[in-house]
Amino acid sequence: MTSVLAQGTGFVGRFTRDRVGVFAAFVLMGLYLIALTAQWIAPYDALTTSLREVFQPPSAQHLLGTDQFGRDVLSRVILATQVTAKISAAAILLALALGATSGMYVGYVGGRMESLVMRLTDIMLIFPTIMLSIVIVTIAGPSEGGVIVALALSQVPKFIRIARGVTLSVKEEPYVEASIAVGAGRWHILRRHIWPNISSPIIVQGTLTLPVLVLSASALSFLGLGVQPPTPEWGLMLNESKDFLRTSPYLLLGPGVALFLFVLASNLVGDALQEALNPRLKGRR
Amino acid sequence: MLRLVLGRLLFMVPAGLLVVTFLFGLFHFIPGDPALLLAGDNAPAEVVEGIREAYGFDRPLLVQYATYMAKVLRGDLGVSNYSREPVASLIFPRVLNTAQLAFWSTGLAMIVSLILGCTSAMFWGTKIDKVVTVVALLGICTPVFVSGLFAIFVFSVHFGLLPTGGLASWRGFILPVITLGAFEAAVLTRMVRSTMVDALGQGYIQTARAKGVAEIAVVFKHALPNALLPIITLFGLGFGATLGGSVVTETIFTWPGLGRMMVDSILTRDLPVTQGALLLFALMFIAVNLIVDVLYAYVDPRITYD
Repeated sequence: MTSVLAQGTGFVGRFTRDRVGVFAAFVLMGLYLIALTAQWIAPYDALTTSLREVFQPPSAQHLLGTDQFGRDVLSRVILATQVTAKISAAAILLALALGATSGMYVGYVGGRMESLVMRLTDIMLIFPTIMLSIVIVTIAGPSEGGVIVALALSQVPKFIRIARGVTLSVKEEPYVEASIAVGAGRWHILRRHIWPNISSPIIVQGTLTLPVLVLSASALSFLGLGVQPPTPEWGLMLNESKDFLRTSPYLLLGPGVALFLFVLASNLVGDALQEALNPRLKGRR
Repeated sequence: MLRLVLGRLLFMVPAGLLVVTFLFGLFHFIPGDPALLLAGDNAPAEVVEGIREAYGFDRPLLVQYATYMAKVLRGDLGVSNYSREPVASLIFPRVLNTAQLAFWSTGLAMIVSLILGCTSAMFWGTKIDKVVTVVALLGICTPVFVSGLFAIFVFSVHFGLLPTGGLASWRGFILPVITLGAFEAAVLTRMVRSTMVDALGQGYIQTARAKGVAEIAVVFKHALPNALLPIITLFGLGFGATLGGSVVTETIFTWPGLGRMMVDSILTRDLPVTQGALLLFALMFIAVNLIVDVLYAYVDPRITYD
């Protein structure tokens, strides 16, 4: 077993040697930069309708054309990047916080509480992400907040599993026993001794979850269960473009490519991080 | 074998009960008065009161729960708020449509992913492997509602070759099945490939190669049977994912299935239909899970569920 520091540099070193992964990480950072600065870089206002400019095909003025209300599609795609980035980041952080804490806790405490929680997560894992999030969004209501909660809760079981698994394997370590012996409290041990072991697999799982959540968030709004109009969102824009495929197929282009790019970049970064963390997986995926 | 099936069935009973309990709770989780929800927004007060009495919302929760449970067990899922038809008879034809879509898509995904995954693993590290890996990666990054709309544009609108959906003839199946199947095929190909790469790295494979077994036989007779267990789980998960994905696919291709019905009922707040559709979906997921478990034990004699 190498020291934590050596592992850390090895991890970063392995990641930076993965050229595809580094490139994807830059693309993803670029997308987040677009998301952060959306209001300033969008050429037009994403919500302003103009009845004299409906269904204009791509041109120098409107690079991706205009939609059925005369809104500039490029500006809407850029603003939608922000919506998606916000929803996916908030959902992951929430899922991570809930899942990691409860997974560590039940793994450490054990007993009846642990078997109850694990049985519940087993049952939840029978259902695919999109189903779970549809059910939760029904309760939470179709809105940005509702989608965040729904997506987060649908991922919590996976985080619980990982956090509990690692906790079980380290809670018998001598340093934990020593800590108990000197009278450390439960939360102190979880934070100081268990969490450092869990953080990397949990963060990798978080990155691997990103594309899943981006896809589910836009699927929800495609179904009309997610973010509501007139908020620009890729899935919503694709659903609206469905009715105009015959006359204005270019409406597909912007949101379709943006969604594809975001998911591709986050998938590549997730894969690269996982390989860097676990070099034995190299070339397996 | 029988004992095993029974044991697994018994494990699924709590899952089923939990689902029914949850669906009962759906009425009470949703903020607001359930009677008002059922009656609709503009219903007069006496109608709301009538519904409250008829549905027993004024009685204790435990009594309501028992009544709901008993009704579901009898196959009585209530009536739709809008059409006033029994939910059970609304749902069943749609379950068949959804099952057909999921069945053909999963079948396609299984065949494609087995062929591509095994080929890729066989030629690990070569150009063939790289092409398959990249194609599969692009596949998992293209959601069904992007590829589906694109396919409609190309094949229905531009070339006019295929209908945009619907069940009128077998030609209406082509686009939905291929779109949904292709996405799942991409997901499964990645997993089959990594499972096969694992299996091909084992010692007995080296032995087989050393004694001169042909590479085809090494892959299909030595590696594949050993990779079969994880692959069965993957395919089970794949079937579940396809069922989930059918919700989106049905919306793209206006397919009269359970998923579209569920989404519509959520949007119109037709709670009895939502409950019924969710119950049927849950039962299908639980059934798939059960079948995978049993198949698993059937393929691997070492496994017993005690």
